[in-house]
Amino acid sequence: MKKWHWILLGVITLITLFAEFVLLADYPKKHWWSYVPMFYILWGFVGCVAIIYISKWLGKLFIQRKEDYYDAD
Amino acid sequence: MQISMFIAPAYYMILGALVLPLLPKQIRAGSFMLFPLIALITIWSFPEGYLIKADFLNYQLIIGEFSRLNRIFGTIFSIIAIIGGVYSYHLKEKGQQSAALLYAGGALGVTFAGDYFTLFIFWELMAVASTYLVWARRTNESINAGMRYLIVHLFGGSLLLAGIILNISNTGSIIITSLTPDGSLSSWLILLGVALNTAIPPLHAWLADAYPKATVTGAVFLSAFTTKSAVLILIKIFAGWEVLIFFGVMMALYGVVYAVLANDIREILAYHIISQVGYMVAGVGIGTEMAINGTTAHAFSHILYKALLFMGAGVVLHTTGRSKLTELGGIAKKQPITLWLYMIGAFSISGFPLFNGFISKSMVVSAAGEAHFDTAMLLLLLASVGTFLHTGLKLPYFTWWSKSKEEIEPTKPPVNMHIGMLLAAILCTLFGVYPTLLYDYLPFTVNYEPYTIYHLTESVQILTFTFIAFWLLRKKLEGEPTVALDTDWFYRKPAQFVQRVFVDGVEAAFNFIETVSMDFSQKLIRVSRNPLMLFNKSEEERDYDPDLHRATTHLLLMLIILSFAVFYIFSLII
Repeated sequence: MKKWHWILLGVITLITLFAEFVLLADYPKKHWWSYVPMFYILWGFVGCVAIIYISKWLGKLFIQRKEDYYDAD
Repeated sequence: MQISMFIAPAYYMILGALVLPLLPKQIRAGSFMLFPLIALITIWSFPEGYLIKADFLNYQLIIGEFSRLNRIFGTIFSIIAIIGGVYSYHLKEKGQQSAALLYAGGALGVTFAGDYFTLFIFWELMAVASTYLVWARRTNESINAGMRYLIVHLFGGSLLLAGIILNISNTGSIIITSLTPDGSLSSWLILLGVALNTAIPPLHAWLADAYPKATVTGAVFLSAFTTKSAVLILIKIFAGWEVLIFFGVMMALYGVVYAVLANDIREILAYHIISQVGYMVAGVGIGTEMAINGTTAHAFSHILYKALLFMGAGVVLHTTGRSKLTELGGIAKKQPITLWLYMIGAFSISGFPLFNGFISKSMVVSAAGEAHFDTAMLLLLLASVGTFLHTGLKLPYFTWWSKSKEEIEPTKPPVNMHIGMLLAAILCTLFGVYPTLLYDYLPFTVNYEPYTIYHLTESVQILTFTFIAFWLLRKKLEGEPTVALDTDWFYRKPAQFVQRVFVDGVEAAFNFIETVSMDFSQKLIRVSRNPLMLFNKSEEERDYDPDLHRATTHLLLMLIILSFAVFYIFSLII
């Protein structure tokens, strides 16, 4: 990742925040999470981290085995 | 039977499967595309609502039912068969080409079937034809996986058949109609049979087991037909069964977890079929018009981008001979066309705006929200985080961009492979940019606008921050040379035990009894030759010789008869 990649991501995020807090300020709040500001940012980030850690944990717990697991007797 | 039954779209594909091997080599691959094309034209040449009927025994079969729902599925099945034909144009093997057409024919047959009998015949045809696409890779692994795949599907077919027979005996009708969740055994058996083909956990393991082991071109067809034709049957029979919402959401996340652990690129894609089909199953469970539209649209989009992704992974396997993340990397500059066409598929499946995943996935998710299934909606959004994470980031990053342990020199793929990918990529983008091209043909009128500021904000925020989290934790996602245990464990691991008890054990018992009985008969033969050996040890050395004992026996008999005669005469005198 070069510096300008990060700048681009920052700009995109700012645009979405502008949309969320200015353009969509009066958008009807249909779900409980509609009351949490920047919810989808959190959901994307925390969700991704959780998926990686929980899956890896489950993998170590009982899912992952050596490649010859089914061939070995 | 009327002649008209032979004009159903499925028959053109099956005709193709029969004719193709007879054609000269030069025109064979080119002719492949002709048959799905004719089928596609046939689908649209019948007026909406038209029925092709045929009499069979005491029942009336509906071979072709041209409803809006069936048509849209039939259309995408035909389109993907054409694209698959382009992608496999270089293939010289007759068997694979024929099996692919037969498989597509089965899918079209299931799609347009209006009665259970027709449905079942084509259902089984699909199972058999698709197995060949796994076997055709001809490695030990694929032969074993193909056999497991076939057995599991025949088991699913039996459940379906049992359900169908019970249902017919209860209702007296073989017409496919929607069933109510009344808890009857027949409904549940049919649901189980269909759920197996839909790959709903725990009945899903065949998919992740067999698809990564299929041939490069076979996997493209496999990714399109079996699960999506089953989704169509779910829509027809089980729309509104709320239990499917739970299973749909569960499978959307299940695929995500396993995709983290998978190392083979086609296995990652296979687990993401399960995840994506989860959206469709949840949509069927919600059952509202919007949800059914969303499910249909998502099946349509999914077939396009998933075939594109499998085509991309297929090119990698074809040109490097490798398919494991641990063995790949550093080839981005060497195959930019494959990479960027793949990325269009990845953007589509991840739901990037302007690609077709965005216009269909968001419809299912919104339908969950509209019907007040908030938790389901939130979890489906979480699953889409996982989709982008694996298919859009992990897979391409570790396949193309990351540093490889050794220098890989991919060969040049046949140009038709790239053309096949390009066609799918064009369609993924086209439907993404002009959603009405698809929306106008959905089963119900669409009152949904995907490109609203709200949806765009939601998607861009989720995708951006998924990317940032991935980038920070990317080291954690490196492939590991392991296998992930799944529910196929229950029939793969005990298989050794079953083999020991029911094959090796039975064989050993048989051998033992054979030895014992042979031994016994040998002894019996020896004793029969000279029964005297039972009384006299010295007789064991020789066979029985009647002359040897004749004189003594004669004397003995004469003495007995004489004594009787003497006693008789004596009794007369007295």
